[in-house]
Amino acid sequence: MPWNISSSDVILLAHATFGVAGSMAALWVFVEALNAQPANAGRIRAAALVTAVCIAAAWICGGYWYVHFYPPEKALILKGPWPFAHNLFMETKEHLFFVTAILAALLPITTREKLFSNSAARKLVLSVAGLIAITGLAVEGAGAIIDHGVKVALLQNASKGSR
Amino acid sequence: MDSAIGPETPKVTATTSGFVLAAAIVVLFNTTLACAKDAYAPLKNFMKSISGHDWTTQGLVDLLLFVALGFLFMNRRVGEKLPPDRLTGVLIGAVAIAGFGLALWYALF
Repeated sequence: MPWNISSSDVILLAHATFGVAGSMAALWVFVEALNAQPANAGRIRAAALVTAVCIAAAWICGGYWYVHFYPPEKALILKGPWPFAHNLFMETKEHLFFVTAILAALLPITTREKLFSNSAARKLVLSVAGLIAITGLAVEGAGAIIDHGVKVALLQNASKGSR
Repeated sequence: MDSAIGPETPKVTATTSGFVLAAAIVVLFNTTLACAKDAYAPLKNFMKSISGHDWTTQGLVDLLLFVALGFLFMNRRVGEKLPPDRLTGVLIGAVAIAGFGLALWYALF
């Protein structure tokens, strides 16, 4: 069976995968920080680093795909029945992503605090990790809507062609 | 025992407080810049001329600003002037304003 997978597909799927992995790693930091002890301090810092690396990778893959491969899909969406998939969801997603990325860069810095003995630092880490998970998953959800915007546009074109 | 001495207020380091404050400012700056370039085409074109795409320029500016402000606030110990819980509240507020602000902007305009 031939696999017709283009570099565009690989980059796009890598973007989504790194995004979910980063959001899940942030959730891991959140859960570990809820029960912060000297024994899991190293694990919290490692998970924070994984979060930052995954979100950075999602940024690079997504940015490259957005700049080089998105314009034809954007044109399709805007001509299709779901133009808001670009006008609202893509526009919000592409700028909200920077918020997630800045928070992901911040997380390893905040986890250098002694969370097991400093309640204020623990609340801060819980907040940063929670915000990464929430905004990261919101961005993922917007990605699914954009994808569906392309699908309904293609289905519309296909049904017009079959008449 | 001196009754004037209360329980010690937990603090965070100058590095943490400085970069948290920097993140809150960059998050709000990012939202403002997104709306401004959307409303004012010459700004979008100028940003496009720098890196080839306005989105790429915005990301690089955000990142550079976060690092620059973070080090500046860390060295000048600016973030330490705010209690850590207030700092956390400022960051959550900034992210909430950014998220709802961006969605509202693109929903309305």
